[in-house]
Amino acid sequence: MYKNFLTGAVCASAMVAGTAQAQDAPYDIYLSMSYIGNDWQAEASNMVKALATSSDYADKVNLQVQVAGPNAQRQIQQINAMVQAGADAIVVYPISPTALNNVVKSACDRGVVVIAYDGEITEPCAYNVTINQAEAGRKTAEWLVEKLGGEGDIIAVTGVPGTSVDTARTTAAMEVFDQHEGINVIGEAVGMWSQAVARTELNKLMATRNWSDIDGLWMQVGCYTANAMQIEAGIAPEDVLPCAGEGSNGGRIQMLPAGTEVEGASSPYIPMGAPRISYAAPPYSGAMALKLAVDILDGKEVEKLTELPLPLVTNETVTLCETGSWEEQKAGCNAFQPGMVSNPGWFASIFAEDLPQLGLNAALVGQPEN
Amino acid sequence: MTDPTTDTAPDRRGAIARGLRSVRRGQAVIVAALVFLGLLWLNAALSPYPLSYFDISFLASGGATTAIAAVGQTLVILSGGFDLSAGAVVSLVNAVLATNMDPANMQASAPLWTLVGILIGAGVGAVNGFFVAVMRLQPIVVTLAVMFIVQGITLLVMDTPGGFIAPTLGAFYLGDAIPNLLPAPVAVLAVLVVLWFWLKRTSYGVTLYAVGSDPEAAHATGLRTRTTTFVTYVLAGGLYGLAGVFVSAQTGSGDPLVGNALLLPTFAAVVIGGTRLGGGKGGIVGTILGAYVLMIVVNLLLSLNVSAYYATIAESAVLMIAVLAGSLSADSVLSRRLRDLMAAIGARRAGRLVSQRPREDRRLAFTEPAAETPRLRFLQRHGHTLRHALPAWICLVVVLIVTQLVLGNVFGNQHYWNSLLVLSSFLAILALGQGAVILTGGLDLSLPWGIALSGVLLTGLVGGNDAALWTAIPVVMLVAVGVGLLNGLGVVALGLSPIVVTLAMNGVLQGVALIWSGGTPAGFAPPALRWLMTAKVAGFTPVVLLMVVFVAFAILLLGRTAFGRRIYAVGNSEVAARLSGVRTGRVIISVYVLSALCAALVGILLAGFSGQASLGMGDDYLLPSIAVVVVGGALITGGRGHYAGMLGGALLLTAMQTLLAGTALPIAFRAVFFGLVILAAVIALRD
Repeated sequence: MYKNFLTGAVCASAMVAGTAQAQDAPYDIYLSMSYIGNDWQAEASNMVKALATSSDYADKVNLQVQVAGPNAQRQIQQINAMVQAGADAIVVYPISPTALNNVVKSACDRGVVVIAYDGEITEPCAYNVTINQAEAGRKTAEWLVEKLGGEGDIIAVTGVPGTSVDTARTTAAMEVFDQHEGINVIGEAVGMWSQAVARTELNKLMATRNWSDIDGLWMQVGCYTANAMQIEAGIAPEDVLPCAGEGSNGGRIQMLPAGTEVEGASSPYIPMGAPRISYAAPPYSGAMALKLAVDILDGKEVEKLTELPLPLVTNETVTLCETGSWEEQKAGCNAFQPGMVSNPGWFASIFAEDLPQLGLNAALVGQPEN
Repeated sequence: MTDPTTDTAPDRRGAIARGLRSVRRGQAVIVAALVFLGLLWLNAALSPYPLSYFDISFLASGGATTAIAAVGQTLVILSGGFDLSAGAVVSLVNAVLATNMDPANMQASAPLWTLVGILIGAGVGAVNGFFVAVMRLQPIVVTLAVMFIVQGITLLVMDTPGGFIAPTLGAFYLGDAIPNLLPAPVAVLAVLVVLWFWLKRTSYGVTLYAVGSDPEAAHATGLRTRTTTFVTYVLAGGLYGLAGVFVSAQTGSGDPLVGNALLLPTFAAVVIGGTRLGGGKGGIVGTILGAYVLMIVVNLLLSLNVSAYYATIAESAVLMIAVLAGSLSADSVLSRRLRDLMAAIGARRAGRLVSQRPREDRRLAFTEPAAETPRLRFLQRHGHTLRHALPAWICLVVVLIVTQLVLGNVFGNQHYWNSLLVLSSFLAILALGQGAVILTGGLDLSLPWGIALSGVLLTGLVGGNDAALWTAIPVVMLVAVGVGLLNGLGVVALGLSPIVVTLAMNGVLQGVALIWSGGTPAGFAPPALRWLMTAKVAGFTPVVLLMVVFVAFAILLLGRTAFGRRIYAVGNSEVAARLSGVRTGRVIISVYVLSALCAALVGILLAGFSGQASLGMGDDYLLPSIAVVVVGGALITGGRGHYAGMLGGALLLTAMQTLLAGTALPIAFRAVFFGLVILAAVIALRD
């Protein structure tokens, strides 16, 4: 009864319930996510599921996904429950880089491979898959400074205060801005890594200002929204301010030269040649963590820290994909048709050299390439 | 010489009766214990490995932080209060310990640092206690303001996870009190329970229950109610501090956000444990069991392989079932309602139901209304309303003047006014729904996912097409009516606390939104909706006009209709209202429907504002929706408040946020200022 109901419920993800205790393949691998209420997390989870069901991994991996929400206490409990349930490896999106240390240590002591993606776990026995967050902050800030010729008033919209990712990115960016006399950060707001929050915060920031008072924007998430707001305020697309920010597909489409033919576009989700640099913590990092977990269980040598290449896209390098297959992305495309990706906030940095199983459909609906 | 049997028989019967009484009084605790043991057994049965001492030890430490913090919350709730600062204090203590412990000193004294943690917590508790007990402000706003302030201070102490906690602390709290028999966390909780049983018998303990049951009566009896309330907040703060010490020991480092997510679980633990929200009944043993029920559910979801999307629904079900089972008895509301229903059906059959009697005026002569109502002066008529509605507006003027001085460009700037009105429209709409619920003495915690689900449903249904709005909006509103009905029925028919029902509903709505959208909401807000929220007509966004209509509607609804008057009547005294012929059940259900409709409207407007819907888009509106209602002069226990004040509250909060966003103040300071302004506004409201 139970199993029928549950398998029905999760058929899309094709998870296999079972209590196999195999030390050899198939490995029991558990995924502990933090929160599933945003696009990034949903894509990451889709890509992990897609990899687990791809023909290369379907026979090797029994994947089970659980969500801890925003509560670190729950994730601690969850990881321990996974160890008790006989996990061979645990892939985790850590809610806190430090709070999990003790439970991760005890999991390692019991021979379980623990591998974190996107966020880091500082416990030495854990494996980490992440980008260099400080570099992300620095590179985007340097681009903005260069774009403005070292002179101008800018607005900064940060992420979730108190997280290590936000602190690393913001500190690095502010260092760059401080080095340039001509750059003034005239407003700073908390964007919580959400397009919706970015809009309310920008509205507050702009309540006592005009768009003409500022020369550029540095945002962790929200350039798409900032461009949309400028269009609404009657600014011509060619006069939109330079914005250093996130890798949302909406933002990438806006970067394409005005007049580019795309399917299913409607303003402001249209090509407008917006001056941008687009970076992202890539949502494939979860799938990469799963691949590395299998590698470790297979006995391969894996570094404790896997630093993913920072996906940086500028107006010079942005290219539209026709189908979004892995092959096509390998050839260099990095923005998807609005007709296929209807949500502009959806993160477009999904290409991984080492994961030919994952194309656009993996991130959209959890369906692998093969 | 008398026969010993005749002597002892009444004693024995008395003992049995006493025993039965205490069983009934402890029903909730017993149910919580049974639920916990049942879940533990189920979990062990599903697990491939037998439950070892290590597992039990780990389980014990996993639930301990929530349990200790929830014990503190229990004390406050027993006194009739409400403490929103619990999670923030846990984070603060963790941050202070992690930044101040010397990494060179591996042998730091556990008792000393425990004392530091408890003192910090007690200090925050003393601030809460001062404003609640001495200044007599409403606990929910005081602790909300203190929560913002403490969160800001925590970020000042530590802006990113890290720091060092000496391993001695971990060894002390996570080791074994008796090796292979008693894990240290269990021992800590046992000590708390023993202290509690002692405390309950002291005059403080007796007064605590008396204050929670009926503060007026307690005061009139000569009990030291204020001192007791103050001490309660200090004790609770100390317990949050202890929870912060425990979380430090458990994680071995600091994270400025670690405790913030603990707030809602502490409430859930308290209600599962059978403590009555509103005070006077309950205790900490049930709370501790409640905290562990919440924790074991995490293991169970894993053992049963429940899909992530269904997790919140399953948790809500556990919460509802545990609370319902704990309150079930012959004179619980549910059984009373069932009896009422049977009686009503019987009466209808017999033709004796009131509504079946011929409709004619049966008023007695002396109840006839006076021919002429006495004329009241303006102040006599509205003074009371103004007294409570004005402070928010006065604070708003102050904030506007400060904004003009600091940022300039306010009074002559139409753009500023437009932004202020558009941004505050969301809170102003929520204030009507949340306000109506609060006026009846309830609280609606299902707003965040009510908003998100409505937005996601709308954009999914319309697919960017204007014409589809005509079908999509009614569908979204119908769903909202269903949600509101279920909330209301849960409160009225099941007799559960509004907090439990709406908290569970929030979890269910989250699950539904996730399942419906598959994790990523698709579709856009149609152009007409985007025009409404972002276009400019003669310098103003069209939604401003909608707001004017809405505000007029809200003021008329609450102030000038029979429905509005019934809401106030129910809030002042449900019993008196029912005896006066108000169908209180219908009124209460209606306010939850109204609240759900307001949430749905906000979801629709937010989708138009952002251009698309996102799943987390309602998260930032729950606490502000309560804050604007209370800052606007409403009483959290119901019966008092005017929509004009709530509107002032919504504008005040938005203007304050706009001011803070415009300044160059560090983000941590902004939270502190925001908390201080809320506090200032409620001090101005003081009677």
